[in-house]
Amino acid sequence: MVRLRRAVPALALLAAGLAARGAAQDTTRAPRPFVEGGVFDKPYLSRLLGRTAIGGYAEAHARWERADGATEEAGFLLRRWNIFTATQVSDFVRIAAELEFEEGGEEITVEYAAIDVGIHPALTVRAGMLLSPLGRFNLSHDSPRNEFTDRPLVSTELLGVALSEPGLGVLGLVGLGGATRLTYELYAVNGFDDGLISDAAEGTRVALGRRNVEDNNSSPALVGRAAWSPRVGYEVGVSSHHGAYNVYRSEGVAVDERRDLTIWVVDAEARVAGVRVVGEAAAATIDVPPGLRGIYASRQRGLYVEALRPFGRAWVRTMPGSFFAAGARLDVVDFDADIPGDVVRRVTVGLNFRPTQDTVLKLNFVRGRTTDRFNNPSDQAGLLFSVATYF
Amino acid sequence: MHHRHRAGVVHPRRAALAVALAVAVAASGCDLLTTEAPDPGEVFDGPVDGLTAAELAAFVRGDREFGRPFAPSEGLGPIFNNVSCAACHSADGRGRIENALTRFSIGLDPALELGGPQIQDKAIPGAEAERLPAGVQVSVRLPPPVFGVGLIEAIPEATILALTDSLDTDGDGISGRPNWVTPPDFVPADEPGGGPEPRLGRFSRKAQVASILHQVAGAYHQDMGITSDFLPVENRNPLASRATEAADRVADPEIPAGTVRAVVNYVRLLAPPAPGADSPPRRQGAALFGSLGCARCHVPVLQTGPNPVAALANQPVRLYSDLLLHDMGDGLADNRPDGSASGSEWRTAPLWGLRLMRRFLNGDAFLLHDGRARSIEEAILLHGGEAQTARDGFAALGPDARAAVLDFVGSR
Ligand code: HEC
Ligand code: HEC
Repeated sequence: MVRLRRAVPALALLAAGLAARGAAQDTTRAPRPFVEGGVFDKPYLSRLLGRTAIGGYAEAHARWERADGATEEAGFLLRRWNIFTATQVSDFVRIAAELEFEEGGEEITVEYAAIDVGIHPALTVRAGMLLSPLGRFNLSHDSPRNEFTDRPLVSTELLGVALSEPGLGVLGLVGLGGATRLTYELYAVNGFDDGLISDAAEGTRVALGRRNVEDNNSSPALVGRAAWSPRVGYEVGVSSHHGAYNVYRSEGVAVDERRDLTIWVVDAEARVAGVRVVGEAAAATIDVPPGLRGIYASRQRGLYVEALRPFGRAWVRTMPGSFFAAGARLDVVDFDADIPGDVVRRVTVGLNFRPTQDTVLKLNFVRGRTTDRFNNPSDQAGLLFSVATYF
Repeated sequence: MHHRHRAGVVHPRRAALAVALAVAVAASGCDLLTTEAPDPGEVFDGPVDGLTAAELAAFVRGDREFGRPFAPSEGLGPIFNNVSCAACHSADGRGRIENALTRFSIGLDPALELGGPQIQDKAIPGAEAERLPAGVQVSVRLPPPVFGVGLIEAIPEATILALTDSLDTDGDGISGRPNWVTPPDFVPADEPGGGPEPRLGRFSRKAQVASILHQVAGAYHQDMGITSDFLPVENRNPLASRATEAADRVADPEIPAGTVRAVVNYVRLLAPPAPGADSPPRRQGAALFGSLGCARCHVPVLQTGPNPVAALANQPVRLYSDLLLHDMGDGLADNRPDGSASGSEWRTAPLWGLRLMRRFLNGDAFLLHDGRARSIEEAILLHGGEAQTARDGFAALGPDARAAVLDFVGSR
């Protein structure tokens, strides 16, 4: 992702987007989107009048967190504020972008900016800054869609959601009769860099190898996901990311041994007795430089499972589209699968209120336990309240 | 939330009330929500009682630094053993065998040209880790606990020296010798254990270190590859090509003197855990501990003198050590002299905190200088040399008496 020093380029993009409005083409949300909550399934697209649409989402938190009997945090933050734009350039070409302003504008990143050339429903070429299809959550991680204040730990701590990379590849959808369908995405991307070791103080952290915007090693990585869905609300996806993360060749000379990072993710969604169940499990294998073996992990894994039950539709008289939802999530991340410790576990229970589908107030109670590399435990708890909305 | 009919109506104010209520109920669910602070007597990382607010603030700052791991891009290495103090000293207690250090030398020569006196077996990408050369004397050192070192420092030299009996004039087979250490230049003369004259060594397995500052600045430099104002030149692998040193991308010194000082203060203010409850068999164990001669080396209590930190002044220190060197026989010898300590001499290991040892080692036990003993009993049975008589006395005890000694030692 590109870090922009000032907001000027962001505003320029915004202005360009506005200027482009007013021409013909209407883009509406597809009746059955490619990825639910994905790039082309956002509420702003359904309100599209002109050729280019601008929208976004924002998320604000109030957090009270404790660890081992002491208050670690009691404060407020504007977690992120993102802008989307999308343009249907022609019947076959569309372009979309997402800019993210995090931590009060200190960090501005181009999270997504890609051109799609649609050749056939089963074959679209996509190029640009891509959202890596590594697990369903990475493809659909907007705060107003996420049912809990915090993202799943496996996503943030292990996979590095939001993970976007410059790349080029194809995606497509194949109908298998009835509502059953198969979707796929496959890209060559820059991949991770050795920040996942060199910038990581607490042992291997894949997320710190992101932002390899100017490719480090002239060795593309491959990332892809295939998902099978028998009908709306049910899906199983398998994805993988593989490639060398270090600089092992420089100006044609072998300067190191090649070290690979391979990640596998399985995700699933289902509905059981009115409860939406979603989950993801990930496993990473990392070739660790010889001098760091034993203290930097070469195997990591993690998972999350969440269940959500909506209720109380239109209970609030003045808001006919409103509803509540109660949910729970389990998070586990094992940062080093070769030792007993270095694990994070967390349980979250939550109550949400959505005045409309696109806005959500979330109240979460979290209780967690982390262990260090000696397996010494430390307990965390927190009350998190957040508001997130699309606009 | 209350359950209501579909037909019923929840007024937004009532919903807000219900949410507020849920929060209040959760908030009063105390521990579940707030988590629990561990009992101060049950940990290795609590401060000594009676610190001032300013001393506690310094303690908190040092605590953070003690736990801080360094990434390669933050100065770790180029060659090193581990990433933080806390990565070797588990919860401020001892370490595991996997975290042990390997020292080597050729006689008294620290073998600098071969990478001595310590093997750094880890290296950041681009640098080469050290490997143990052949034909040298090797000493494996398990990380000892770091709590209580401020109390150890506060015991007057004269108190410890009064326990020496280098020539064994009392004829009990137990001598007890001080390790006289010449402080390195970077330790200021006004620092405890500093100055131009040889000072009494108190720290590390052979009491070869006289000041906490020396211990801590040395740990940053040797164990983590972190240069400081005290030791600003990066430790190198002399057997690797010079070119590999460029792997370290951070300018030296990598941390300021203030960070080292913060950690010195932190460990200085760490309290030992409370001993376990008293009981009749335990009292029997304590009596046997005395009559077997264990207490001649493992002196139950020493007294601190005056100290700039009021909480450390004139305190009893229940450490079960005389802090002196004893010849422990060939079985425990590493045959590697360290300062004036011989190849078979070791500082009497303090026994405080043994009660909680397993809790902070994932249920395991690692005892003696290299962690070879996997239980207290095994550690005692491996005593030799000056401790041979005491060891044999212990071995000759009946099962109940033996259990009482083990219970007592394991309750400290
Ligand atoms: C690689 C593991 C390792 C790291 C990292 C490490 N230590 Fe140690 N520490 C040891 C070992 C081993 C000893 C005993 C050395 C000896 O006997 O020569 C020791 C001894 C000590 C002692 C003396 C305790 C006593 O009872 O004599 C203190 C204090 C100490 N370390 C503090 C620290 C601090 C502070 C840091 C971080 C700046 C640190 N250590 C980092 C392994 C480590
Ligand atoms: C001559 C002095 C001496 C006597 C007598 C002695 N010890 Fe020790 N003890 C030591 C020394 C020195 C060490 C450290 C040896 C090493 O590090 O390898 C030690 C280590 C230990 C340890 C391991 C502590 C640790 O943290 O690793 C235990 C337990 C212990 N002694 C118990 C006893 C008991 C019980 C007795 C009486 C039966 C006894 N000792 C008698 C000198 C003595």
